[in-house]
Amino acid sequence: MSFALASLVASISYVRLAVRDLDAAARFASDAFGLQHAAEQDGEIAFRSDNRFRTVSLVSAERDGGSVGVEMWDEAALEQAAGRLAEAGFLIQRASQKECERRYVQDAWLAKDGSGNSIDLIVRPQQSGRRYFPPRDAGIMQFHNIGLLTTDHARDLTFWKILGARVSDWVGDIAYLQIDEFHHRVALFPAARSGLLYSAFEVEGFDQIMQNSYFMQNRQIKILQGPGRESASEQIFLHVQGPDGIIFTYVHGMAAGAEKSRRTRQFPFTHESLCSWGSVSTDIPEFRVPEDRA
Amino acid sequence: MIRLKDISYVRLGSSDLETAETFATSCLGLEIAERGRKTLYLRSDDRTHTLCYSEGDPHQQTVGFEVDDEDDLQKAAATLEALGHPVHAGSAEEAEQRKVKAFIGFSDPTGNHIELVVRPERRGRRYFATRDAGITGFSHIGLNSTDPVRDERFWTQVCNARVSDRIGDIPLMRVNAIHHTIALVRAPSAGIQHINHQVESNDDVLRSYYFLHERRVPIVFGPGRHPTSGARFLYFKGPDDMIFEYSVGVDEIEDEATHRPRQFGFEPPSFCMWGSRPAGMALPDHT
Repeated sequence: MSFALASLVASISYVRLAVRDLDAAARFASDAFGLQHAAEQDGEIAFRSDNRFRTVSLVSAERDGGSVGVEMWDEAALEQAAGRLAEAGFLIQRASQKECERRYVQDAWLAKDGSGNSIDLIVRPQQSGRRYFPPRDAGIMQFHNIGLLTTDHARDLTFWKILGARVSDWVGDIAYLQIDEFHHRVALFPAARSGLLYSAFEVEGFDQIMQNSYFMQNRQIKILQGPGRESASEQIFLHVQGPDGIIFTYVHGMAAGAEKSRRTRQFPFTHESLCSWGSVSTDIPEFRVPEDRA
Repeated sequence: MIRLKDISYVRLGSSDLETAETFATSCLGLEIAERGRKTLYLRSDDRTHTLCYSEGDPHQQTVGFEVDDEDDLQKAAATLEALGHPVHAGSAEEAEQRKVKAFIGFSDPTGNHIELVVRPERRGRRYFATRDAGITGFSHIGLNSTDPVRDERFWTQVCNARVSDRIGDIPLMRVNAIHHTIALVRAPSAGIQHINHQVESNDDVLRSYYFLHERRVPIVFGPGRHPTSGARFLYFKGPDDMIFEYSVGVDEIEDEATHRPRQFGFEPPSFCMWGSRPAGMALPDHT
């Protein structure tokens, strides 16, 4: 591994989102957001955003609670991570062949973090020979990062540290977790609830962020926050609200480059730290800062 | 041919200098260069001033362009008079008010007040903004035209302006490498349609969008991006309904000899490639 971090994680590979109304969520994912429908199996609808076979699956909430797929470097890293998590007392079990097939991966361990979020540690997720062909020109390049809600902050941080992640920056107690050259691939948001907060997809440029912003406005699809720019990661973002509490996010321009010598910075938990341009979200509880309550 | 080198300043009449000053400093971010009893001079770059308000009718609007020297100024006066445009030779006192060495005034075919100036003053101390809007300088104007085809001929044949692109019949014209310094706007009468200041970055455009929105300044167009010049923009309304624009990333025409104006259709995407629509501001060709 060329990267200086001792990360066992290769990538955030997919999100499986539990929804009550599969059709409505599927329409949002493809028609509005611009993901490509890839496959359907066992009532799960798979979508593509890049060369991977799928990066988003919609699953019926009655059957499954959804999960986040974390690709490990190789089988050795997978076994090592699984062993260490079990040792630290996290719930973890080997996936059955059926569970692996549902996840389009060769092998997996299914874990729960301290908040009860389902994290799939996987190896060899399927790629696709055909390139990603989106249903509309949203400019999506790849599935890029996620925001996770945490009810047990210390424990969840331990979970990710075992996988080799490091905190690149803090905003209040929001932790941006670095696993590769990018500023973060996971952001942990202290919350009164668990689950996935958002799934972020990188678009080609600032133009696409803005075009998507007007696209959503014209279709009266709610923008929860943005266009904005995170102060710590420099990432430009647009948080879009889908059905069933789904938040899909367009992002561009996250700071990158392995600054292994750079120390973790602390930003205050203020609107300015969450968005240096001045956008504000009042709808996402975890983005409400003390100044809102004042 | 009248050889314009650059745009120099805008002079606006104002019935309420106090409101003009508040807006210019707390919203727009310009620096006060000089405050007289009936005048307010504002800076946006190295020049001593680029915007001047003076007590009077807000319909009194003048734009100044720089020419090379007094010789060029005299030739310009002769050219204009030969074409039947009455020329006002600026007095020494008037030149002092404009902080230029010499100037002449005339009206373009639509009736816009235009001044040609020689040696506009610069100031040794750099521009220091009153708010962090990221302004790098006064750059261009939108100029009303009752007949854009006729006025394009005036600016390109009597003067040295060149058409960089057209949207419908509306020319975007340059007098130097910057994509446009004069954007004609079809309108029923003379006037300045908007005043543009360049800012440093995309961040500044978006920051100002949220900043001005929060202060209830009417945003009339944007944030958006012009496919013609490539500039990211924000238009908003100031005192006396004057529209100001921030923009960044305007193209430069690198090869003067080979550049050919592109024709864009008269439709909303020609004005904004992101999908923003004007609100409270007419698109340039609405007649």
